[in-house]
Amino acid sequence: MKSLTLEHASFWYPATEAPALRDVSLEVAQGEIVALVGALGAGASTLLLVAADLAPRVTGGRLTGAVARRDRGGIVLPTPWTQASGMAFTVWDEVAFGPANLGWPAHEITRQVDRALEQLELVPLASRDPATLSGGELQRVIIAAILAMDPGLLLFDEPATELDAAGAQMVWRLMRRLAGEGKAILLATSALDAVPDVADRVVWLEDGAVRAVGAPDLLADVAVCEAGLGTSVATVWRASGLPGPYPPTVAHAVRRWR
Amino acid sequence: MTRLHPFTLLTIAGALPALAWILPAPSGGLAMATLALGLTASRGLRPGLWPAVLTAAPFWLFLLLLHDVPTTIAIGLRITTMVASFVWLVAALEPARLVEAMVAAGWSASVAYLFAATLTAVPMLKARAQRIAEAQRCRGLSPRGGIASRLRALRALALPLVLSALHEVDERALALETRGLRPGIRRTTLAPPHDPVVERTARWVLLLACPAALIWRLL
Repeated sequence: MKSLTLEHASFWYPATEAPALRDVSLEVAQGEIVALVGALGAGASTLLLVAADLAPRVTGGRLTGAVARRDRGGIVLPTPWTQASGMAFTVWDEVAFGPANLGWPAHEITRQVDRALEQLELVPLASRDPATLSGGELQRVIIAAILAMDPGLLLFDEPATELDAAGAQMVWRLMRRLAGEGKAILLATSALDAVPDVADRVVWLEDGAVRAVGAPDLLADVAVCEAGLGTSVATVWRASGLPGPYPPTVAHAVRRWR
Repeated sequence: MTRLHPFTLLTIAGALPALAWILPAPSGGLAMATLALGLTASRGLRPGLWPAVLTAAPFWLFLLLLHDVPTTIAIGLRITTMVASFVWLVAALEPARLVEAMVAAGWSASVAYLFAATLTAVPMLKARAQRIAEAQRCRGLSPRGGIASRLRALRALALPLVLSALHEVDERALALETRGLRPGIRRTTLAPPHDPVVERTARWVLLLACPAALIWRLL
């Protein structure tokens, strides 16, 4: 079942002539992870804001085409500091901020917050003041805060930017688990090496338009590699002059080598 | 003092300046300024009293340039009360408790957040200004020296401070929206502050003291 459908969606930010999104059509099904890749300014973040019903409702601007959302969306933005409520004494309170705004009963809020803290391995930090956390810890708190609101559609904008390697791995694993529970996930990331193991489909955006859609193998495509969006393995394989098709991951490369 | 109900803290911070302006000068202003400065001092010298005194000092200087000494004292004490009350309120009132108290009292959550965010803006901007000043110092910009170099340093501080604050407002609006803070929501209060009868009575006494003092002055 489709959680999000965009049909010929174009979006202009206020006071701009050129659209940030051009004629984008895209579907994300429940239980599916779709990764958006592209150069800076390609429109991935804007697409997430449109999907989250924040653009143009909050940002202003103009949207044409159709956007249909079956589930309530929750978006994780790239900068954790600007997403903290500033109204919480503890990590637990911070995570509870969103569920409390939804007006849920207190016992349901407690259940969802405890679950989200466990999912992000934040239980030991539950009583810490959010202002004393590192960037990576705060990013995990923000992800937990969105998960605690139990959205059916999850939108991640560069979720691993502030995280160390172990933290990023944990978030990628969590995404697969959430997709297994039926959540629809749309992910904009420049961590291209993680995409083949995380995403079910890849959408390549260029100048606000969809350039190509495909399986994660797309990140080993010649044109994608030429655009600087190939995985490390595919890029090295290509630079070494080895014949195509390029392998997107080490596992693929090993299989090819044998 | 921080464990007082947020409405009690707000009432004290509002009543002191009101009474300072209503009661006869300079004795009324002196009494209220002493009380307000005493409250700021109770938060400590550095976080409480010093910011209040340093913020009020320029007002005294300008008043002295514009008025005679009795008028300067009369208005200066009133302004000092206002400044000290606000500094004390920012230091003593925890925004999260204020939001909980306002929502428990039936206020809209977004209005409560807006009100509380006003109080958090001052320390947040102060911390940000400090970070920018340190970054500029690392790049060799000195805030010391003559007027010209101080003005250059001020420009290098003010521009990124204002621009980054404006940028943050956009992102914060998006983040709060996605976390459910929208007009008309019915927020669940998780830990509404305790509001004992003594405090409720004290608030009414303070609130009624202001119109009573005004009537006394007018009659």
